[in-house]
Amino acid sequence: MNDLYRASEPVTFELNGETVTRSVPAATPLLDLLREDGQCTSVRPGCRIGRCGACNVLMDGQAMPACLIMAWQLPGRRIETVEGLGGDPDFLRVRQALVEESALQCGYCTPGFALSLVSGLRERRQGNPVDLGEAIAGNLCRCTGYGGLKRAVEKHLSPCSSTSSDGGTVSKKQISGEPE
Amino acid sequence: MSSDTPGRIVTLDADAPDGGCPSPELYRRIEGRLGYPTDLFDTPGLLQGAILRSEHAHARLLRVDTSRARTMPGVRAVVTADDVPGLNRFGIVVRDQPVFCEDRVRYEGDAIAAVAADTLAQARAALAAIEVDYEPLSLVTDATTAEQQVPLHEGGNLLTQETFHRGDPEQAFAACAVVVEHDYRTPRQMHAFMETEGGIAIPDDAVGVHFRVGCQSGHRDAEQLADILALAPGQVTVEAMATGGAFGGKDELTVQPAAGILALKTGCPVMIHLDRFESCRAGMKRHPVTVRMTTGCDADGRLLAHRVEAVLDTGAYASLGPAVLENFLDHATAPLYRIGAYSVSGRLVYTNNGVCGAFRGFGGNQATFAVESQLDALARELNLCPRELRRINLRSVDEPGSRHQPVRWTAPPVEVLRQAQASPLWSPEKGSRGRWLTGTGMAMGAQGNGLGDGLPDAGGGRISLSREGRVRVEFGFSDYGQSIGEAITHSVCEVLGCQGSDVEVMLGHSRGPDSGPTSASRSSVLVHGVLNRMLPQWMEAVRRQAAELTGYPGDDLAHGPGGVFHQGRQVLSYRELAEHGRREAMVADASQDFPVAPDQDHPVGRYLQLQIATVARVRVDRLTGRVRVTDLHHITAAGRVIYPPGYLGQIEGAAVMGLGMTLTEDMPAEDGRLRRDNLDQYLIPTFHDAPAQRVDVLDGTPENDPFPVRGVGELGIEAVAPAITAAIEAATGVRIRTLPVEPGVLLTAIHAREVVS
Ligand code: FES
Ligand code: FES
Repeated sequence: MNDLYRASEPVTFELNGETVTRSVPAATPLLDLLREDGQCTSVRPGCRIGRCGACNVLMDGQAMPACLIMAWQLPGRRIETVEGLGGDPDFLRVRQALVEESALQCGYCTPGFALSLVSGLRERRQGNPVDLGEAIAGNLCRCTGYGGLKRAVEKHLSPCSSTSSDGGTVSKKQISGEPE
Repeated sequence: MSSDTPGRIVTLDADAPDGGCPSPELYRRIEGRLGYPTDLFDTPGLLQGAILRSEHAHARLLRVDTSRARTMPGVRAVVTADDVPGLNRFGIVVRDQPVFCEDRVRYEGDAIAAVAADTLAQARAALAAIEVDYEPLSLVTDATTAEQQVPLHEGGNLLTQETFHRGDPEQAFAACAVVVEHDYRTPRQMHAFMETEGGIAIPDDAVGVHFRVGCQSGHRDAEQLADILALAPGQVTVEAMATGGAFGGKDELTVQPAAGILALKTGCPVMIHLDRFESCRAGMKRHPVTVRMTTGCDADGRLLAHRVEAVLDTGAYASLGPAVLENFLDHATAPLYRIGAYSVSGRLVYTNNGVCGAFRGFGGNQATFAVESQLDALARELNLCPRELRRINLRSVDEPGSRHQPVRWTAPPVEVLRQAQASPLWSPEKGSRGRWLTGTGMAMGAQGNGLGDGLPDAGGGRISLSREGRVRVEFGFSDYGQSIGEAITHSVCEVLGCQGSDVEVMLGHSRGPDSGPTSASRSSVLVHGVLNRMLPQWMEAVRRQAAELTGYPGDDLAHGPGGVFHQGRQVLSYRELAEHGRREAMVADASQDFPVAPDQDHPVGRYLQLQIATVARVRVDRLTGRVRVTDLHHITAAGRVIYPPGYLGQIEGAAVMGLGMTLTEDMPAEDGRLRRDNLDQYLIPTFHDAPAQRVDVLDGTPENDPFPVRGVGELGIEAVAPAITAAIEAATGVRIRTLPVEPGVLLTAIHAREVVS
């Protein structure tokens, strides 16, 4: 093993709005860096080869698998996970859509899907036509058969759906925001 | 629910019942706040464990030398077979699987040693430093000839065989106008839960071990673990945490034995989390089946005779294999249809091809694939519509089951068929359009709830009032997001007239009530039965307490939102009751045996029968042979719908899992090596592979049926595969009998037909 894997080096980047510095070997996957101190466990391993999307984060606003991002790539980058998106209008809209359609079961895959969708909505807001189905094509879910996800995307997140105003949600039933 | 159509048929949508609020659980999951067993990095003093797996599928173990590994940086313990404190064996039905192999390895995932270290990298480095000498032995790879090969276990490679008989099949075959005989094969499907096997073991003060893991039966696992760890049963606690999918693949012990031994050895909590590579190699799979079916009918299409000869490959160890065989055979008798005579037999054999165990459908869907294909073959021979052939042979609600046992059908099977026949998927888009061949097909399936023949199958629960004044309902079931908590809350609210926020559901703790395993679609039935028993007792106890505190006579008090009411006015909230009443007097427990067919000499499970019909529409690419399932329409009859989003999700999720098994999923074994090692090679359906689905429910059960609630966890997978292959046949004229459908094979067959015609 060479030093990429052994010698720890400080890396500084932005995590959920805060500047953080971690001392890790340069080849440490961001996935492990976020999980191992128990801080961002919404970022989860499913394959470690970039295939499942369970480890997604937003890097500079783009959904990316954290298993493929190495520590040495982090300096100067902005990383977001669902832990830091509580007030983000796109995330709230996605959350509402997923809840309305019961688009999850075990939920292990769900933060990864949510980030892919948030990334898609942000891109769309910049004027790019985005197919949200395409945005989640790289996310795997084993529980739901994607039925709820399909309904969430088609009924609540399409450009012309009733809930399309940014951040706002039109719900047929009143849903309490933070039920804990 | 929405769009009520005449009769009792309802098309499900994802709305919460009665316009209620979605469960707070959903928010926790989306926001990443639900801690899974493999997320528990904040456990103080946590070590990381890793398991050394065999390099050979079959070999003698000559030497395992851990001396170098022990001296490596960060290493706290290295353990082998010599370090197993108690029984070095586990297995739900037969304890034949070693925690760590002693002198022989029987599959490529067999565990030889384990390491606990400060970091996972250190633990892995130490694994690499363990020296193992093997002497390779000859391999048993072909299940159909396994019995003639070198024995993998003492009793030989035939683990068990079983035959169900009825009438005189030979005579009946002689009377048939048409007989069809075909061979079918189904794949070694992988559960591919997104959270791979994992969890932690924490040594606790009472010199025991506390497990926080993904599993399906806390109590049963605690028993096995106590034997392995040589602890008294009370010294092992298993917390079956909400886990990222199970589907049967966490029914057997996974990481627990190694983690437990390492925890005892080091005195520290130890996490083991298999990565996907290791999960593919070492984890449970679905039993591949090779089956020959011979089925005959008279000239009108009445089924007369049926013969089944099957071999199921259980791999190196038994796990739940014997129970899977039994359920396979039950389904191979074609429970939905009247057949005069049958001989249905199967053998379960050991091989060096990985390990197989429980998997949603549990052998039943493999059998249904073949049975339904046989019916289509007969219909073709007779030039009869396949739906008509089914209609002629379907049982009526008051008939016994295929093994002469009394059964409780949810609805007349012919009604399910009628609904399938009316599916909109039959009408448009017939025939071919350029590159695409389209077609529609259907299949039916029946499924019995419960663990099956003669197995102890009881379940219990408890209800109490928490210190904070919430109605606490406990069951031993595990939560994988199948909405069991929501269904319990909903049922309790219905009876107590309270709100979801008044109720707190606690699941999956081996110190709590024993509900039995979370499998076999049994939880819903037991939850309903147990709640029916314990809620009245509990309400009575609470009213008694309330009467003492308020002075009103107990009979004048009633339960309502948030507490107890007198003449429509709340006189005590649950919180006040918890503060001022005797909480220990406000507890009720109940349990019940799973309903099985009464009056049987030999107990036959499969008393509570559910049904499904699945209609599939496919598009076959004439250039590549690839199949795309565009639509699935299910008609289900599975009792009362308690929680529509949960019911819908179970059917849709199971169906797509069945679609995967039909089109892409297989873990082929070559020379005992499983050939797919991650999700880039083992292909589960993606968003783009998922069809449009519709679920129509025949809600309820016949009048005076005492079991109105049934479990739907497995129903959705039952009939998908034969529906898809029927649709492929409608599109191309080719019937595929080996799953998954190989595009190349299909293409060749399509071209061969085009040349002929
Ligand atoms: S773990 Fe990163 S994509 Fe699967
Ligand atoms: S909800 Fe379980 S994997 Fe998606």
